[in-house]
Amino acid sequence: MATGIKDKVAVIGMGCTSFGEHWNKGPEDLMVDAFVEAIADAGIEKSQIEAAWMGNALDDINVGNSALPLAHALRLRGIPVSRVENMCATGSEALRAASYAVAAGAVDIALAVGVEKLKDTGYGGLPLRTKGLANDLWMPYGSAPGSFAQLAGAYAARHGIDKSDLKRAMAHVSWKSHQNAALNPKAHLRKAVDVETILKAPMIADPLGLFDCCGVSDGAACAIVTTPDIAKGLGIANPVTVKAIQLCASHGWELQYGEWDGSYVANTRQAAKRAYAEAGVEAPRRDLSVTEVHDCFSITELVTMEDLNLSDEGRAPFDILDGRFDRAGAQPCQIDGGLKCFGHPVGASGLRMAYEVYTQLLGRAGDRQRGTVDLGLVHNLGGAPFNSIAAVSILGRLH
Amino acid sequence: MPTTPSQSRTGRFVAAVGVYAPLLRLERAAAGKALKFSGLGGRPSGRRAVAGWDEDALTLAVEAARGLPRPQAVIFASTSAPFIERSQATLLVDALALDPAVRTGDVAGSRRCAVSALRDALLGNGDTLIAAGEKRPATAGSSQHLSDGDGGAAAFVSDRGAAELLGYASLSHDLVDIYASRERPQSYAYEERFVRDTAIGKVIAPTIRAACAAAGVAPSEIARAAVHEPLAGCWREISRLTGVTAPNVAADLAQAVGDLGAAHALFAFAVACAGAREGDLVLLAGFGSGCDAMVFRLTGEMPGAREAAAQLSKGVAFDDYMRFLSLTGAVQLDWGVRSELEQKAQATVLERYGRDMIGFVGGRDAEGNIQFPKSRVPVRPDAAAPEQFEDVRLADCTARIVSVTADRLNFTPDPPFWFGLVQFDNGARVMMEFTDGDGRGFSVGDAVRPLLRIKSRDARRGFRTYFWKAAPADRPSIER
Repeated sequence: MATGIKDKVAVIGMGCTSFGEHWNKGPEDLMVDAFVEAIADAGIEKSQIEAAWMGNALDDINVGNSALPLAHALRLRGIPVSRVENMCATGSEALRAASYAVAAGAVDIALAVGVEKLKDTGYGGLPLRTKGLANDLWMPYGSAPGSFAQLAGAYAARHGIDKSDLKRAMAHVSWKSHQNAALNPKAHLRKAVDVETILKAPMIADPLGLFDCCGVSDGAACAIVTTPDIAKGLGIANPVTVKAIQLCASHGWELQYGEWDGSYVANTRQAAKRAYAEAGVEAPRRDLSVTEVHDCFSITELVTMEDLNLSDEGRAPFDILDGRFDRAGAQPCQIDGGLKCFGHPVGASGLRMAYEVYTQLLGRAGDRQRGTVDLGLVHNLGGAPFNSIAAVSILGRLH
Repeated sequence: MPTTPSQSRTGRFVAAVGVYAPLLRLERAAAGKALKFSGLGGRPSGRRAVAGWDEDALTLAVEAARGLPRPQAVIFASTSAPFIERSQATLLVDALALDPAVRTGDVAGSRRCAVSALRDALLGNGDTLIAAGEKRPATAGSSQHLSDGDGGAAAFVSDRGAAELLGYASLSHDLVDIYASRERPQSYAYEERFVRDTAIGKVIAPTIRAACAAAGVAPSEIARAAVHEPLAGCWREISRLTGVTAPNVAADLAQAVGDLGAAHALFAFAVACAGAREGDLVLLAGFGSGCDAMVFRLTGEMPGAREAAAQLSKGVAFDDYMRFLSLTGAVQLDWGVRSELEQKAQATVLERYGRDMIGFVGGRDAEGNIQFPKSRVPVRPDAAAPEQFEDVRLADCTARIVSVTADRLNFTPDPPFWFGLVQFDNGARVMMEFTDGDGRGFSVGDAVRPLLRIKSRDARRGFRTYFWKAAPADRPSIER
């Protein structure tokens, strides 16, 4: 009988570069910078790392295929190094792989790195790639904002909410992230923006305007994991431990089977349900101190509040406008600025979110510290609402 | 002199017709205004049907032919076929999900080719579909760019039906009024006065007279005419020289949607049949490197004719000359880095999946659930193992929008890029591109219908693939 991963893995060191347009840094620089911070944090030697996973989503256009870029960048000698990829959920996949290796007893200490170098692609957004495959014969070549924008119309239709009211709630989501990122020195977009500016921004994919879309950034983040016993041996009395890591992938139901109404992300609901069970979280609104969710677009964060059961069905726009998810609200979300303003180097984002929760758990978040934090949630979403990979992780202190 | 076989009844019929005009209609006056500085364009009137970026001669022909019965032979006719080596008729068979054992052929060579193919089908045997489509390139500023139009037309020939061929005449005559070549794909036109005098006097009028004689009817007995004019305004002189006093539907058609090339006479014939009564004589004549003229007697209501006439009152007028230049390929805009995406299609992939794609064929699994595309293990949640699928064509199924957006980031040659999830009434669900949203857009819950369109265009290699896109179920009315 599987017992889950709760408290079997301790996070003893994390690192994260600033996210942004790093014209003067390549993927090697980004990985090294994140790793240098993490290993100093962990207080171990590099030679103690027994296995590593590199998460990188868009291999053929920036960092390169395989895990060799990581092995070369960090000069990881004689250990297994693997690359994982699950679209925007890639960072969480790297953490999951490293955690499972430790939990399985295969290794004592493992490394997870997420990295993306998007600003070498020549695009303002994510580049489009087709490879002459069967799906290219029929699937629309929609952009990421185009894919997520469709949540809005479907959500409005399902809940009978006026589109302008929904747009205002979405604007509040982005306004909040800009407010939060202004306090975060590592964030990509650190300028506060008023709601009216957000509402009047040029349309990208109806109804998503420019400010409803996250930043496209370069960056890397990493985590060093081990067992709680080893962590204690290193002098960490109550380390941050992994309470849950759950992942759920579409099998075509949303795209091909006539039940889903397009207004929510089914995989987030599945992954969250399993993660809450694995972590023993009975009342997420009560138990979770902070959340970092995959706010690639404002509407994504809005529906995610319901998918994670942090809002009742049809109530997220009102909870958002009431400030419940603001930094000082009852259930703060994206204290670090989120994908929206911290930035979104695809393969790094899952680990960046974990980095913020880890930082909050350790009380190291400075101006943006949310008091005493016991439990934090990371929601990392790959793909599109109609064809997604949702990862939900929960981190907390070992008591 | 034209050949004049003597026969008054043939026992061969046009049994059904179909037409297709693209949604958009350029106000020619707007083009004239934009060109005023140059002195080109004249003072044009009427409208010109403008195909979307994702339409071509094949898709236009397919849309025209969709409502017709299943034939034993298929002829595709066009002077602007997208492929030189790759049969459009074969693609048409797959697009209509016809039996691959049907006989196929492609005809071209002049804009008369569809009428010539119709003549041959009427003189031959078996049920034959003639489907014509035309999207002719033209240079900006040329008179053809404004007088031409894009469209499709089709006719179904059988041993019984609504219009019996009474007689015909054909004339081969290399009159170079316009030409297009591999070196110059856009039409090049010679002096109009020369063309008008020569075409009417030496080619069209003698052929019509010979056809009437072959049919054993007096030209004055013709009730409706569908005579492809070489240039606008020729009908009065043709009428004077032949004695055919009936109105020429083809002239009105050119004013409403433009000269549709190979599809023009067939389209006009369909509209002419809509206005004719049982017993009426209808004249059909195609022009280009000669002339083919046929006289029919209507024996009943022509299937598809009423719908053909109705198409002329549906559409969206526009006056954006720059958009017109872009849609017709007369200017090449730099669409930026996003337009550089690789669109190469692989022949191996097309061989495995291509027919299901162009035919929009999904499958019904062992429990009756319909899905697209088919898969080894069905998408049905309780499916545990591979199942056999029964083919189900979705092209003619009704559907509604589940989710949609107007994507302004993604590259498309005619922004915005509309796409979303479409739920078919039979249970199938497909993520689709939307098309023909001009003037109304798309919303959750809207009824849509599939239209065959170009899916991807690989400009680097000169290749294209086809798939179906969701269009509004109805078209708005357009003032005539």
